[in-house]
Amino acid sequence: MGTLYEDMVACGGEIFGDEHIETLRECVQCGKCTASCPSGRNTALRTRKLFQMALTDMREEIFNSPELWFCSTCYTCYERCPKGVKTTDLIRTMRNLAAKEGHMSVPHRMIGVYVMKTGHAVPLGPAQKELRKAVGLDEMAPTAQKYKDQLEQVQTIFRTTGYDAMIDFDWDTMNLKGMDKGGKK
Amino acid sequence: MGDLEEEYDYTKIPPTGSVEGIAAGAPEDSPRIGVYVCHCGINIKMVVDVGDVTRYAASLPNVVVARHYIFMCSDPGQDLIRKDLAEGRVNRVIVASCSPRMHEPTFRKTCSDSGLNPFYYEMANIREHCSWPHGDFHKEATEKAKELVRSAVARSALLEPLEEKLVDVKPEVLVIGGGVTGMYAALDIANGGYKVHLVEKKPSIGGHVAQLSRTFPTLERAASLLTPRMIEVGAHPNIDLMTYSEVEEIGGYIGNFDVKVKRKPRYIDTEKCKDCEKCVAACPVTDVPDEFNEGLSTRSAIYIPFPFAVPPVYTVDAEHCLLLKEGKCGDATLDGVKEGKEAPPCLEACPGAIDFGQKEEIEELTVGTVIVATGYDIVEPTVSAEYKYGVYPNVITALEFERLTSPSGPTGGKIVVNGKEPKDVVFISCVGSRNKQVGNEYCSRVCCMYIAKQAHQVKEQLPDANVIVTFQDVRAFGKGFEEFYGDVKKEGVFYMRGLPGEIYKKPGRDRVVVRGENTLLGEPYEQEADLVVLGVGLAPNKGVESIISMLKLSTSVDGFLMEAHPKLRPVDTATDGIFIAGCCASPKDITDSIAQGKATASGSLLYLVQGRAVIEPAISQINEEICIGCARCVDVCPYGALELDEVRHVMTVNEAVCKGCGGCNSVCPSGAATMKHYRDRQVYAQIEALTEITDVGMLAELESAAAAVAAEASAGATDTGSETGEGEGTETEAVPSAG
Ligand SMILES: Cc1cc2nc3c(=O)[nH]c(=O)nc-3n(C[C@H](O)[C@H](O)[C@H](O)COP(=O)(O)OP(=O)(O)OC[C@H]3O[C@@H](n4cnc5c(N)ncnc54)[C@H](O)[C@@H]3O)c2cc1C
Ligand code: SF4
Ligand code: SF4
Ligand code: SF4
Ligand code: SF4
Repeated sequence: MGTLYEDMVACGGEIFGDEHIETLRECVQCGKCTASCPSGRNTALRTRKLFQMALTDMREEIFNSPELWFCSTCYTCYERCPKGVKTTDLIRTMRNLAAKEGHMSVPHRMIGVYVMKTGHAVPLGPAQKELRKAVGLDEMAPTAQKYKDQLEQVQTIFRTTGYDAMIDFDWDTMNLKGMDKGGKK
Repeated sequence: MGDLEEEYDYTKIPPTGSVEGIAAGAPEDSPRIGVYVCHCGINIKMVVDVGDVTRYAASLPNVVVARHYIFMCSDPGQDLIRKDLAEGRVNRVIVASCSPRMHEPTFRKTCSDSGLNPFYYEMANIREHCSWPHGDFHKEATEKAKELVRSAVARSALLEPLEEKLVDVKPEVLVIGGGVTGMYAALDIANGGYKVHLVEKKPSIGGHVAQLSRTFPTLERAASLLTPRMIEVGAHPNIDLMTYSEVEEIGGYIGNFDVKVKRKPRYIDTEKCKDCEKCVAACPVTDVPDEFNEGLSTRSAIYIPFPFAVPPVYTVDAEHCLLLKEGKCGDATLDGVKEGKEAPPCLEACPGAIDFGQKEEIEELTVGTVIVATGYDIVEPTVSAEYKYGVYPNVITALEFERLTSPSGPTGGKIVVNGKEPKDVVFISCVGSRNKQVGNEYCSRVCCMYIAKQAHQVKEQLPDANVIVTFQDVRAFGKGFEEFYGDVKKEGVFYMRGLPGEIYKKPGRDRVVVRGENTLLGEPYEQEADLVVLGVGLAPNKGVESIISMLKLSTSVDGFLMEAHPKLRPVDTATDGIFIAGCCASPKDITDSIAQGKATASGSLLYLVQGRAVIEPAISQINEEICIGCARCVDVCPYGALELDEVRHVMTVNEAVCKGCGGCNSVCPSGAATMKHYRDRQVYAQIEALTEITDVGMLAELESAAAAVAAEASAGATDTGSETGEGEGTETEAVPSAG
């Protein structure tokens, strides 16, 4: 384990290329990202501050702060940052590292549960099914949510990559370990 | 490889030393080379073993003596060369030091002062090419330094003396751009007693400064600073003022630039116009956006750009005049007007100055030097679309603000938005500057201070207004700037750190909302504002593009005109006799613009006073005996220096125009076009000497490194592996062995 910056370059670099992640060091703390952030309007997310914390190697503080998971990945800050800092991708990289170290937020893990159970982050619910029927469509769309064999393929991917372990998935209850169906402890 | 060798301790190398060369006893008429290796303090010595390089130099053919010294460019350093020359010891000089851009002129002069033709001087750059880039590689950098010295020695023996030529300088100057920079350049030259042609594309001189209300940090009225100078320019007997004109063509060279200037018709006889304004009231066109007021007001088709314009005459704007655009104004037709039978309203009102018969004219000039002072344009505020310029009228540019606060502006100097005095005013810094996303990475240098000035102006006029300046850094570096910034804050202007992210409007509200983060608190805010002023940056004037191609100027990555050297030659260009000054070269304030304008005047006067200029002798030469007159070289010559002698059917070179770029040399199929000072044999000797590898240990190391790379490459690719290996082998064998 190196500094957070080094780990981010190593981890994010694999996905986006090193130079992409290295833009973190070009941040001048102008605050235009926070100022543009639709999430920060309602939450405690201070995008600029995350980058300052990353540069000062405040790994534990970042990984344990719920704010890291408040970004909606809308890329507004990414488009407006005057220094071309790859803001949103930096946040995604920090999340990847945090997840690997067991810090994924419950709502994000719950999204994993939905994919595991239905093949979709946002599966069709009763209202959508009604709507489909009303307009003369099959109640179920022809996806993994409908076809068991396809869903099994999705689940195989998750098993093989160890994603199930990462989010602490319980194959018996088909939910997070130690959680009831609502996703609360 | 890579680590500094322990045994190399640069502090042990004495400040000077010398070694007798192997050609010490050579006869006087053979090349006798002196090699002088410089430490550059410790810049070179720290990495390159200068003692070793000196010993090696002494072992090379034709070298009579090799010396090393702590600073070759210093007087005692140059004395080493002077002494050897005076004693008749050497007749060729090589200094192994820094870039020729830095000190070639210095050492050429050392040689010529001692009676040696300066083209017998040669340079090996062992600083920029060795010690600086290879700081961690002492051994390799030293080897490379030796190789560069070896190639300089090989070339030096083949050098020929060249004579510098002089051309006469026409004692007139062309200044392009009549902003504050061009005006000051023109005035200095004119006051020095020489003729200046000042070409300004707009109807009046003055540039952007004419639009400003006050100037930082002294808060003087821009008009009262500028007007006296404008009048002086307009009335100066040595200044040929050509407003509403543009340069169409420039050719030629230092001392003799041939220029064609297009003079657009104003449709006004400037001698007869009484500045009475009667035509304006008569003109039916009233809705042309007034460019001087940044579109905040309108004007008629016949107009004077601003009250203190120079020359103080009206202009008919052909793009908007009904008669010129549509052929008919009122009952008058263009043909009827030209025949003198009909008259549009302006002509009827005018006491005889309007002349619709005027035509575009081309004026031809010959000048000795050219000064480019075309200034800037503000960056389009829409590049940061999130600030909604053009969407909400409450959002304006700083240049519009200058017009709002100017007594000659659309509101007579009153700050009003939508007819009301603003209560909350927000300034935003760095709009279109320091911003990679909009392509301008540079700082525009003036906006921090003009924002401070404008914030002060709001406070002065509306003491109860809430004035917020949002910023990322405040750059207050000039004389009196920091003090001024402090004063403005004391007046109650609040500086809030952080660049706003966006501006929006709540439904049904007049005011806008600025969203930002106060980064020092780490808290986001939403600030309602009646007025938002965008601190727009400065970009090169779009009109400069044709000038760039006519004068073959270069631009820096930021798009501004490029100087010959960013530190040492800030107003020169790569072409002698062409100068750049003011905001066309980089953003700057009035003080710096004037300083540069005056610097270009001084640069021009140097040539005018002497009446002569030296031209570069290292240029193309055509061997007429071999030239087949194919004229292929004519197509590649970017300067138009070549012309075919139709009678003798051979190419000729205009020596004053040729810049010695070598294009003709490389395309000439018969080998007739060669470059003086860069003859093929001189360059080949240099290349051959460079490709010799002398250090056998190093050769082995290089070979094994190459083999390792090849092995790695072939590890994945099975069938190409052996080929790569073979290739490497033959290549190494082809390298000539030690010389
Ligand atoms: C909002 C704002 C406020 C400012 N306030 C201040 C201040 O308070 N104090 C201060 O020191 N500085 C201030 N500045 C900076 C100041 O405007 C510049 O320093 C100054 O204008 C530079 O003068 P210039 O002659 O180089 O360029 P310009 O003023 O741009 O003049 C260039 C001239 O060249 C002409 N031209 C362009 N192309 C051609 C062509 N191809 N042929 C012929 N003519 C051509 C143009 O029409 C123009 O007349 C401010 C700038 C802005 C944007
Ligand atoms: S907008 Fe860019 S430079 Fe400014 S604080 Fe955010 S990441 Fe840093
Ligand atoms: S990408 Fe994330 S941090 Fe950036 S503006 Fe959108 S929600 Fe905010
Ligand atoms: S001809 Fe008509 S439109 Fe043109 S300047 Fe005269 S009055 Fe105005
Ligand atoms: S001068 Fe100030 S406002 Fe202008 S670009 Fe530079 S830092 Fe930004």
